[in-house]
Amino acid sequence: MAIKSHVQTTINGETVEFLCESRQSLLEVLRDELHLTGAKEGCNNGNCGACSVILDGRLVNSCLVLGVETEGKSVETIEGLAAPDKLHPIQDAFLENAALQCGICTPGFIMSTKALLDSNPNPTEHEIRYWLAGNLCRCTGYDKIVRAVQDAAKASA
Amino acid sequence: MESWGEASESRLIGKRITRLSGKDKVTGKAKYTFDINRPGMLYGRILRSEVPHATVMGIDMSQAEALPGVKAVIPLIESGKKLRYQGQEIAAVAAETDDIAKDALRLIQVHLEALPHVVTEADAMAEGAPQIRENWAGNQSEPSINKNRDVAAGFEEAAVEVEATYHTPVQTHVCLETHGHVAEWEDEQNLTVWASTQGVFGVRRDLAQYFGLPPNQVRVITEHMGGGFGSKFGPGSEGEAAAKLARITGKAVKLMLTRKDEHLVAGNRPSMTQHVRAGATRDGRLIAYDMRGYGTGGISSGAGFVGPYVYHVPNTRTERVNVAVNAGNQRAMRAPGHPQGAFAMDSLMDELAEKLGMNPLEFRRINDSSEVRQAQYTLGAQEIGWHRRNNVPGAGNGVKKRGMGVGSGQWGGGGGRGTEARVTINADGTVEAVTGTQDIGTGIRTAIAIIVAEEFGLAPTDITVKVGDSAPGLPSGGSGGSQTTASVAPVIKTAAAAAKQKLFEHIAPLLEAPVADLRVGTGIIYVASDRTKTITWQQAAGQLGMESISEGGHWAEELRKGVVAGTQFAEVEVDTQTGAVKLIKIVAVQDCGLAINRLTTESQINGGVIMGLGQALLEERFMDAQTGRMLNANLEDYKIPGTFEIPEIKSIVFDTHRKVTGIGEPPCIPTPGAIANAVYNAIGVRIRELPLTPDRILTALAEKKA
Amino acid sequence: MEKFSYVNATSLEQVTSLLSDSGWGEVMVIAGGTDLLGELKEYIETPKTLINLKTLPGMDSISADGSGLKIGALATVADIAMYPEIQNHYTVLAQAAGSVATPQIRNVGTLGGNLCQRPRCWYYRDETVDCLKKGGELCYAIEGLSKYHAILGGDPVYIVHPSDIAPALIALGASLKIVGPEGEKTMSVEEFFTLPATNPYRENVLEPNEIVVEVQVPHPKSNAKSFYLKAREKGAPDFALASVAGVFEMEGNTCQAASIVLGGVAPAPWRSTEAEAALTGKMITESVSMQAGEDAVKDAQPLNDNAYKVTLTRNLISRAAMMAAK
Repeated sequence: MAIKSHVQTTINGETVEFLCESRQSLLEVLRDELHLTGAKEGCNNGNCGACSVILDGRLVNSCLVLGVETEGKSVETIEGLAAPDKLHPIQDAFLENAALQCGICTPGFIMSTKALLDSNPNPTEHEIRYWLAGNLCRCTGYDKIVRAVQDAAKASA
Repeated sequence: MESWGEASESRLIGKRITRLSGKDKVTGKAKYTFDINRPGMLYGRILRSEVPHATVMGIDMSQAEALPGVKAVIPLIESGKKLRYQGQEIAAVAAETDDIAKDALRLIQVHLEALPHVVTEADAMAEGAPQIRENWAGNQSEPSINKNRDVAAGFEEAAVEVEATYHTPVQTHVCLETHGHVAEWEDEQNLTVWASTQGVFGVRRDLAQYFGLPPNQVRVITEHMGGGFGSKFGPGSEGEAAAKLARITGKAVKLMLTRKDEHLVAGNRPSMTQHVRAGATRDGRLIAYDMRGYGTGGISSGAGFVGPYVYHVPNTRTERVNVAVNAGNQRAMRAPGHPQGAFAMDSLMDELAEKLGMNPLEFRRINDSSEVRQAQYTLGAQEIGWHRRNNVPGAGNGVKKRGMGVGSGQWGGGGGRGTEARVTINADGTVEAVTGTQDIGTGIRTAIAIIVAEEFGLAPTDITVKVGDSAPGLPSGGSGGSQTTASVAPVIKTAAAAAKQKLFEHIAPLLEAPVADLRVGTGIIYVASDRTKTITWQQAAGQLGMESISEGGHWAEELRKGVVAGTQFAEVEVDTQTGAVKLIKIVAVQDCGLAINRLTTESQINGGVIMGLGQALLEERFMDAQTGRMLNANLEDYKIPGTFEIPEIKSIVFDTHRKVTGIGEPPCIPTPGAIANAVYNAIGVRIRELPLTPDRILTALAEKKA
Repeated sequence: MEKFSYVNATSLEQVTSLLSDSGWGEVMVIAGGTDLLGELKEYIETPKTLINLKTLPGMDSISADGSGLKIGALATVADIAMYPEIQNHYTVLAQAAGSVATPQIRNVGTLGGNLCQRPRCWYYRDETVDCLKKGGELCYAIEGLSKYHAILGGDPVYIVHPSDIAPALIALGASLKIVGPEGEKTMSVEEFFTLPATNPYRENVLEPNEIVVEVQVPHPKSNAKSFYLKAREKGAPDFALASVAGVFEMEGNTCQAASIVLGGVAPAPWRSTEAEAALTGKMITESVSMQAGEDAVKDAQPLNDNAYKVTLTRNLISRAAMMAAK
């Protein structure tokens, strides 16, 4: 029998409880236990950013955070971004700028963008590249993603 | 005769339209295969060989079977058979959690008798190397020789010659979503598989065959998938294993590859080494080309590459050999054979031009018979500012040196027959377009909506597009070879046209006009000769009463055409102290025939260029001769471009004719050659192997100094 | 990963006591986890128990006054990179911290973890390869692919130390505080690291039951300029092919004193006294700076694939010195 810990945390503003083994990453908990599959597994060791979520206001790779470490903390995932009746400006900007193709990296990029704009509402292009350097995309070539972030910054201004 | 009409007549086609399904992707709602969760689902994992070459003496699965939570363990290889590369499948497990499945793999005991291995071409081809592939003495295939006219005579006419060796390493696809399937049996005879695939119907066919089922009892679904680039055709042994485990356990099984598995077994672009001797006449015409080349596509596959390429050489001799190594087999990777061959050819062209004292662009013009590309050269040269290019490669004393280079490419495309599609108009005015193609990120879903919407005077968002499901029984080919749009678009268009015709026939009496006189406008249908006679789309559809109109299409060949041309101009800056190469700007001029959606077409060009950048500057598979293992089966040491690598990109969709061709692959072809030539122009030292990493740059600069 | 039990740390005594119950690898501490969890996922380490240090109060703070900095071992790399006093007066440290990995990793990775991280060597990180560092017979880099390996101080294990922060701290003359069951001790960050000739199995002097708790950095002299130059293959994330942490006390363009520490070229951050000597008291010119670089690498012993690092290191030192002279 696996020994599981009981964890209580806040996810997208709601209190959530789950059981998990200590070796389960937050990514595994989100996807396999809570069925929040927005965060993706791309490499499972912190190199691609597809699993990016915001933990206590900081952008992290959920594949390198243990589920048990979210006790008493707050997690924001892609699923919590849009309002019930409309998309977040970042989401709109990604759509309008065609900043996605296969889309598997997109939730990670959007969370990284949110983390960036939350602390720096008016980033330069260099800053955008620097703060999104932890997210890999194999399809788009990044150019449209950078433009989407610039537009999102303008829209949120 | 079908036609897309003139650009001036198009309301939607050729414009920049936002991607459908984008909303699901930006909200995290889009379900990829990796995201599928089925009731009672088990997790599957595969045990893979950790050694490059060994005979299997026995597999003991008992401890794994006994682990609580494990529901099935199956062997994937028999005793007595050989493991021939790190990563080859040994056994598969299905368990209640992913962790239990991984634990179970580690409890499987495998008894092996090690065999000697070779994992590099040099080691495989060396005198006395162990033979690792039956019938391939020296681990090499029989040479494949091609001749055109008389290469010896050609060299007699040559005023200048270049003899050089060009090399590119093995590259892996790095799809961000790994390969995998979720398999679930409804009963003994009916299987549903969610697959991360480029070919829904191919997976259906192969799994139906594997299990001896009629194809329509296998349903394959790919609503969204996270990248394929050529590697995701067919279920593979992992798909078969998932379905087998699902059958044995009676539960759905999700079996995804790990990132390490992906690098090892999910395909790669083979390596290439070309020894070339080529000559040109004094007036700049290519006259002779003699190439001996080889590469490895793994243990049992080939290493195709183009050469000569794009530019015309009348006298040629080429000799190609495939080399077997103990490594995973190649799979088609974006424009198979072309980017590496283009790198070699474009480098060669520049080297010949230099010997002739000619501008490399002028030299290309003399030898390039493509009118399209001639025009693209003019446009691209202007955009990049080709006149600013260094006249003397490596000139200047600065630490950071800039240079420019050009590269070219060509591709087929043009699609193929075999797609079936259906367009349905319902009485409530809704429209559905269904076909069995899959949107692998290309935006075909949106293109379909655009075509149907154009035909009906509606907006793309009014069209419900269903793709990626074999259940409707409307086959389409795999999404590869840049074939999707050209295969699907003509069928969708003709289906929509047929449906529109039927609708017109239905409402013509109401409008008191002949069918031939009816036209669509934005949201309306009107009579051409009397514009006061008009009804809305809603009203027209409402006339159908209890019925709906559903029409298929046909592959109208006149709506598509093969052959595209492209050229790219690169400007780089090389830091001669650190060896770092920065791509400053790249101009990509790419024709793709009729671009249905300009926005998604530009995206493809951008993405292709960056993949080419990765090949030129970063990507390389490292095999360790001692252990026979891949050293960088991860995303730390297998490096793909990130946000810091992007240059200023000018992607120009070069309009030629108005027939659909294809765009997925062409944009990644000219890039490595353009960058390599730009680096030479910057530093005055020719590096003939990729990637152009700092170690190669610094070594080359040091050798130049010496 | 293998299963493990996870315990929150309540005090330093509890931590060192738990660590004292076994040798290396059975009980391990986890801070940010960005390196450790990577090792667990590859089964390089298979601890039975992880002690979460993040619940220890007060160990993540950064404080600065006129005499210097005190940085708790649990301060994140991001916090260090963004700390205004560090950006303004300890530039080499801010640049080094800012060059680490990615924003996601910097937000979680800690100072202690960055200093104590294990090598990235692809033989070391391969579970099936029984390399010398892991107790085997052979350093596979010697005959293998050595493009990312050491050119200085290697014998007999040719890893490079992957930390960016360590060279910066050594260049600043920092010291650190270690806590064990016997109490605390302080040493310079330079002394903290060891070479394989002394101990091929570890990269620093920590005993299995000790942890780093704090780093102290003296305030640089008022005339000091400092930089961190990191040569990489791609922008980020990427470990250094070679890096230079330099602190230069300048009078105009005469160098009164220099502290030059190399990263990515040796199994420990490598203090180049040769380069320092070549610059001290000299007016920095192109040729003086190049000479310093040459002196730094004159005893380099490249392996099959990493001779380029000799040139690269020389050039980086020269560049750093020239930047100081501006």
